[in-house]
Amino acid sequence: MKLNLDAESSPQATRPKKKHGRKNSHLKPSKSHAEKQNSDELHLEQEAPTADEAPLQQHLDSASLSDSKEDVSDEFKDLKLSKARESGSADEQDHVNTGSPDNLDQENEDDNPIRDQVDEESDSSEDEVAPRNTIGDVPLEWYRDEKHIGYDISGKKILKKEREDKLQSFLASADDSKSWRKLYDEYNDEVIELSKEEVKQLRRLLKGKAPHADFDPYAPYVDWFKWDDAKHPLSNAPEPKRRFIRSKWEAKKVVQLVRAIRNGHIKFDKPKEEQRFYHLWGDDSSSTEKTAHLSYIPAPKPKFPGHDESYNPSLEYIPTQEEINSYQLMYDEDRPKFIPRRFTSMRSVPAYDNALKDAFERCLDLYLCPRVRKKRINIDPESLKPKLPSRKDLRPYPTTCYLEFRGHKDAVMSISTEANGQWIASGSLDGTVRIWEVETGRCLKVWELGEAVKYVAWNPLPELPILAAAVGVDVLLLNTGFGDGEVQAKVKELLHIDALPATDNSDKTPIATWLQDDKVEGIRLRHFKTVSSVEWHRKGDYLSTVMPAGESRGVVIHQLSRKLTQKIPFKLHGLPVSSIFHPTRSIFFVSTKKNVRVYDLLKQKLMKKLETGLREVSSIAVHPAGDNVIVGSREGKVCWFDMDLSSQPYKILSCHPKDVTNVAFHRSYPLFASCSDDCTAYVFHGMVYSDLTQNPLIRPLEILRGHKATNGRGVMDCKFHPRQPWLFTAGADSVIKLYCH
Amino acid sequence: MDMDGVSEDSSRRIQVRFITKLMAPCRVPTNAIAIPSNLTRLGLSTVVNNLLLAGNPEWEAEPFDFLIDGEFVRMSLEQFLLAKGISAEKVLEIEYIKAVVPRREEEPSVHDDWVSAVDGSHSGFILTGCYDGLGRVWESSGLCTHILEGHKDAISSVCVVNPEEAASVTLATASKDQTLRLWKYSKDDRDSNPTKIRPFKILKGHRLSVQSVASQKSGDLICSGSWDCTINLWQTDETHFEGNVSIKKRRKNDQVEESQLEGDSVATLVGHTQCVSAVVWPQHGEIYSASWDHSIRRWDVETGKDLFNIFCGKALNCLDVGGEGSTLIAAGGSDPTVRIWDPRKPGTSSPIFQFLSHKSWISSCKWHDKSSFHLLSASYDGKVRLWDLRTAWPLAVIDSHKDKVLSADWWKGDSVVSGGADSKLRISLGICVS
Repeated sequence: MKLNLDAESSPQATRPKKKHGRKNSHLKPSKSHAEKQNSDELHLEQEAPTADEAPLQQHLDSASLSDSKEDVSDEFKDLKLSKARESGSADEQDHVNTGSPDNLDQENEDDNPIRDQVDEESDSSEDEVAPRNTIGDVPLEWYRDEKHIGYDISGKKILKKEREDKLQSFLASADDSKSWRKLYDEYNDEVIELSKEEVKQLRRLLKGKAPHADFDPYAPYVDWFKWDDAKHPLSNAPEPKRRFIRSKWEAKKVVQLVRAIRNGHIKFDKPKEEQRFYHLWGDDSSSTEKTAHLSYIPAPKPKFPGHDESYNPSLEYIPTQEEINSYQLMYDEDRPKFIPRRFTSMRSVPAYDNALKDAFERCLDLYLCPRVRKKRINIDPESLKPKLPSRKDLRPYPTTCYLEFRGHKDAVMSISTEANGQWIASGSLDGTVRIWEVETGRCLKVWELGEAVKYVAWNPLPELPILAAAVGVDVLLLNTGFGDGEVQAKVKELLHIDALPATDNSDKTPIATWLQDDKVEGIRLRHFKTVSSVEWHRKGDYLSTVMPAGESRGVVIHQLSRKLTQKIPFKLHGLPVSSIFHPTRSIFFVSTKKNVRVYDLLKQKLMKKLETGLREVSSIAVHPAGDNVIVGSREGKVCWFDMDLSSQPYKILSCHPKDVTNVAFHRSYPLFASCSDDCTAYVFHGMVYSDLTQNPLIRPLEILRGHKATNGRGVMDCKFHPRQPWLFTAGADSVIKLYCH
Repeated sequence: MDMDGVSEDSSRRIQVRFITKLMAPCRVPTNAIAIPSNLTRLGLSTVVNNLLLAGNPEWEAEPFDFLIDGEFVRMSLEQFLLAKGISAEKVLEIEYIKAVVPRREEEPSVHDDWVSAVDGSHSGFILTGCYDGLGRVWESSGLCTHILEGHKDAISSVCVVNPEEAASVTLATASKDQTLRLWKYSKDDRDSNPTKIRPFKILKGHRLSVQSVASQKSGDLICSGSWDCTINLWQTDETHFEGNVSIKKRRKNDQVEESQLEGDSVATLVGHTQCVSAVVWPQHGEIYSASWDHSIRRWDVETGKDLFNIFCGKALNCLDVGGEGSTLIAAGGSDPTVRIWDPRKPGTSSPIFQFLSHKSWISSCKWHDKSSFHLLSASYDGKVRLWDLRTAWPLAVIDSHKDKVLSADWWKGDSVVSGGADSKLRISLGICVS
């Protein structure tokens, strides 16, 4: 076995040596010369003569190279013929001569194309030699799993011989003393036994000697060239030294490569493994070797035919006549290109009349449609979301409605909580102001005012239970009747006008007149225009009213203790919407339809202008710490302003699909809310940090539903309970709801 | 236990023995009998009733509740055994008690306005407070014997100060007009029907609405919680009016001149930050209070300091102390959960029981004064529920009110009285709490 293997590898092993020998043969006698001497070695030596050498040495005087080639081949033919006649050796020798050199040929065909030519020509002349290469120009491994190897001349498969199993062949080889001389020819599937001479030749080749023993490599040089009588003598210069030493630059290059290999810059990949199976109809856009190139963009695939394009589709694919008629009414682009039809057999399918047109259009598509590689970035949409704390960690906040305050007959426009959170007041379009007990939902007091109540505001001082209500052009200051005797005495004194304060005798109509109203036991502040909102100052003495139609006198500040009215000393820009006092400092916010202006009341000048960028501001609320403002708008947006940061909104929350009717901050919890005509109220976590470098944290918490839309209006007002994390919402459905945590 | 047997055979039988602590007519023979394992409470009740009927032909059917190892059976017997891992092989001892459900509903006692407070701690009458500012004494359903007249605003809480005395009982009412009033009530002086009583003492001192009132067991002192975040202690004794605490005063605008006392508070307990919505005074020196600031506090009356507080997380409306050893605290508030704490447990921040069937705020919760397991709760969803600590389901739901129930209490140990926003006082009778 081992010998066999050796023998198999021996031709390859000898090859480099042979090549070497060929190189050396520059100065040696020509091959033809050698062949003349040993015709037996013809085939072993056949690859030696190359295009450069043979003509150069044999026919220096010949005119053209092609001629010389023919000459050479002719010479070979002669030689072969003569050899065949002379030697008359056994068939096996032929095998060696033809088979094994062929083997070599297969591997070295790039080296000498001439060799093939020569071989073919010699074959054509020698018909009796059977074509030995039965498998053609394909790798041998393709036949690895086949039962045959190659085809004979009539195209029939040549079956492989049955091989003995290894054990048997081993035993046989152990018995047979000649077995070491046998070797297996894979290409022809036969066992060749080498003769003793051949083995000797091989041995000599292994040693690097000339194959034939008779050949003398050191034969005396015969100078065939006729030096005399030559008209132009050849150069007699000695061979230059560079011919004998290796190139410096090549050496450098080799060193470079060696270093690169050692350092691992050049890596020898494992030979690529051929994919055994591949997807014949696979989408070439995904094939890796094509997409590896930069610019390759695969052509769009045409649509595959579906069931409806079958010659005999199911009935559900066949359109009815009505459908076909309706196609005629469609635009050309929308009309289906193909109307499925049924045929009884394939044969009856007519030629497709649009075949040419379709092919043309496809070509146009491929040619004209620019194919552009789109750059796509894969971003996880989750990662784009801001990191927000979990809702669970932000408890408590209002979630569930447990209490309803029912009694109003029409939409509740406004609610206000008492400072302790024991009662709330509400004003409604049915012309009543009601006071409710928060704890039980009981209505304690009702004032029939006869006109729609737009706004109610409870005095922020707990010891002054006065309620201001905006009714038409009037603002009513009502005594709620809560509190003990002292409180009541004080309230009654406050709400009593002894004598009208000296009226300005100016020709203009006064902004507001203070009147005693005996019916409701309070003060009626009659304005010159309809009042839309009333807000108290934190000390409970001043209150501001807003008249949207009041133009330059649209925002007015009243003083309760002195029964005085004054317009704000600032110019108004646009229609005033609402006004609010700063919770701690003497700062006054006036919001117009577009912007919010912040005035310092002490210095009497404009401090800041908050540019909302909204179409129409509807409401405004100030954070209890005073530095942050939220503004609700008619387009459903809520803007959060950090006044220390900028006059632009810090955050814009567009959460409501309809108008935001009101916004509110909680007095102590970090909560704010907005309510809207879409019948929902949103509760947000709005944490303002005392650290000025940290931005407020805003987190939506809950959508509170429950109100029903009435006349297109939803929730009209929302207010937080002053001490609990509860939210009151007033709905256009005349219900007030209390959402608890 | 044998799992296959339970699943394959629905009519599998279990050996049980019924035992009870009830008296003679309700006793069944104690020998073991075999009953189907798929019986529920109703089935068991039928079995016991049949057994009783067999022994006593005059027996009237009676609902029973069943306890196995101290737990109520609230599913089918085999499920219960499976859930508790009790073997069905040996003879099972089932204790039965009379079901705690109201047998009868009295006619409602109609008020003029919402009934905000009821007190049934005196067995002779029910005291109610109403939003029209009048307190009423009901001897039975529909029979109002006395009207307490004097408050200028709604009464928020009532309490019977000394229930032991039979002849003359002192009543206390707290009102949203920031005062408390004390009344003397004796059963005998009944001339017209109903008799109007005027208060003998007005307690002024709170700055805002008084929300709750409770009396000491001995009846000398009462305490009150108010919206001004304080708890005030007052003396009920009328002999003390000469002292510096009380001032004698005559009312002139009344036709009949009568003496009325005005009292100041003896002490003020400050600590709560919001409305004190409920106070109870279960023992001599200790007051419990619940507040909208989400805390429950226990106050030492002598020193006026709060001994501990439990933080609940919700605004609280009601509080009661009772149960096992009169130490468990039950409270409810602005969510539908009745929570029970055991202050004896170390680190008592979390409740030991939570009852969750209500749908709205809890307005009232009261322990049964005899049983250590039973309590009732009233809610704004219009229902009064009876609870037993041994099961998480309500024992009974009294759904007689049309609107919010604002207050509820036990009466005479076997009835539940409740008043609500439908202006009615409802009495449910015949609740057998053993």
